[in-house]
Amino acid sequence: MLSSYAITIGTIIVIQAIAVCGLNVIVGFAGQISLGHAAFFGIGAYTSAILTVKAGLSFWTALPIVIAIGGLIGLMLGLPSIRVREDFLAITTIGINFIVEALFRYIPFFGGALGIGGIPRIMLFDIRMKGIPFFFLCLFFLCIVILICWWFTRSWASLAFYAIREEETAASAMGISPVRFKLLAFVMGTSMAALSGSLYAHYMQFINAGDFSFPVSVGFLSMLVLGGIGTIWGPVIGTVILGVLPELFRPLVDYRILFYTLLLLVMIRFQPGGLLGEKSLVKNILSRTFKRC
Amino acid sequence: MVAPILTVNGISKHFGGLKAVENVDFQVFPGEILGILGPNGAGKTVLFNMISGVYRPTEGTIDFRGERIEGLPSHLVARKGIGRTFQIVKPFTSLTVLQNVLVAKGIMKYGHLSRIWGPWGSRKDINEAKEILERVGLIELADRKAGLLPLGNLRRLEIARALVVGHTMLLLDESFSGLRHEEIGRLEALIRDIRDSGRTIILIEHNMRVTMRLCSRIIVLDHGRKIAEGEPKDIQKNELVIEAYLGRKGVLDVP
Ligand SMILES: Nc1ncnc2c1ncn2[C@@H]1O[C@H](COP(=O)(O)OP(=O)(O)OP(=O)(O)O)[C@@H](O)[C@H]1O
Ligand SMILES: [Mg+2]
Repeated sequence: MLSSYAITIGTIIVIQAIAVCGLNVIVGFAGQISLGHAAFFGIGAYTSAILTVKAGLSFWTALPIVIAIGGLIGLMLGLPSIRVREDFLAITTIGINFIVEALFRYIPFFGGALGIGGIPRIMLFDIRMKGIPFFFLCLFFLCIVILICWWFTRSWASLAFYAIREEETAASAMGISPVRFKLLAFVMGTSMAALSGSLYAHYMQFINAGDFSFPVSVGFLSMLVLGGIGTIWGPVIGTVILGVLPELFRPLVDYRILFYTLLLLVMIRFQPGGLLGEKSLVKNILSRTFKRC
Repeated sequence: MVAPILTVNGISKHFGGLKAVENVDFQVFPGEILGILGPNGAGKTVLFNMISGVYRPTEGTIDFRGERIEGLPSHLVARKGIGRTFQIVKPFTSLTVLQNVLVAKGIMKYGHLSRIWGPWGSRKDINEAKEILERVGLIELADRKAGLLPLGNLRRLEIARALVVGHTMLLLDESFSGLRHEEIGRLEALIRDIRDSGRTIILIEHNMRVTMRLCSRIIVLDHGRKIAEGEPKDIQKNELVIEAYLGRKGVLDVP
């Protein structure tokens, strides 16, 4: 019998994996750094919370609006961001995260320091989604997101992204607009984050600005880097490992951010491709072991 | 007389105080090979960069088939059918040679949000890309990573991509430099073949013999200014040109 504790951890992991998949579109596919992904996770959560709590919409009616708003704000913030140099982009996205968090915290409409409570559970076939059914609902959304990413890697768009990442000038000479494609990545990535945020809000039923602070962004990035930037399954693997580890070693929970940051540095230094990416030590060892058997 | 396909009018590019290109005019006619000569730093590549939309001219206009294209971003110039190569080759290194050409084949898709979701690498696209590779002599290396190729092959890959994009006009920036002797003859034949298939070509070259043999007309730049224009035989005798290449006098003696 699965304990409710395990289901909670599992659900959070699946929800986070959706956000990390979105981050992967921005960082992995488009090659843009983003250190403020939690802002869009939060925008999704707050939008869905407000639409359901204050405007009385159902989760399902609100969802398309939430995703559209997430993408739209991604577009608006992406527009000035992608024109700056890479190191500035890192700073800019951190700034976005702090500003969005501050807006949530200090504007009364967003519930101020108290946040928003009483967020309704999702209704599906007249069932209030929680526990295992909700877990599977999240898993269903994760599958859709992964399917989109998988489809994406086989599309002309992904070829264009490859070209932009490697030689922007040459890509332009081939009819590719780097600005538009980077914006496309921002829109895709931030709307996935918004979806994830919405699920989070209806799972927790109570949200607070602190849930979407900068350390959460660092966590997302660590998960992505650990699993493998630019791969299909990397975001999922990374999120699972970083979601489970602190539960196995409880002391880690208090030092989560320190651990994430250290991991990020170590991975970027020694295994930039992540567990599933190119030149992966783990993949090497596994394939060698299997060959020997 | 035939109408020009490209008209460059009083074009200049200044980088701060440096006048990289200064008040240059010329015309290009359909189906010709126009050569651009000039010593190092004369402004040849900057001129290409203005035509292809990498730089916005400080002054002047560029007219391509009746449309003003100066200041237009690169990707829009490319979509008008102007392909170019880069003097410092810019392959997509982690992609294969075939995929490099496929990126160029996507040119009619990248501008439409609805078309970019289709799968790349359909049988038809691959076959067409392979035909291009066949034509430039890279077919054996189709599945090789572009980053692993020697310079000669990379120059041909540049031409392959420009060939896909430039269904009207190609800008070739020193495609011959760094090639071995036997490769030069093959590339010359390829460029003639491209011209014969109805395209217009502008090429920048340092190799005098090649330029004289290939081009119907030549313009010469020096310190950003056009100092001569004419048929190869006139250019060879031009006093200003000889002076610009002073110290390298012998290079102008073509057998
Ligand atoms: N982006 C830039 N910023 C500043 N100066 C530049 C820039 N690009 C080119 N230049 C300068 O403009 C001048 C012309 O350069 P260009 O590359 O066009 O020469 P070129 O004729 O192609 O020479 P080469 O035969 O060596 O390729 C040079 O002095 C160069 O240093
Ligand atoms: Mg040059």
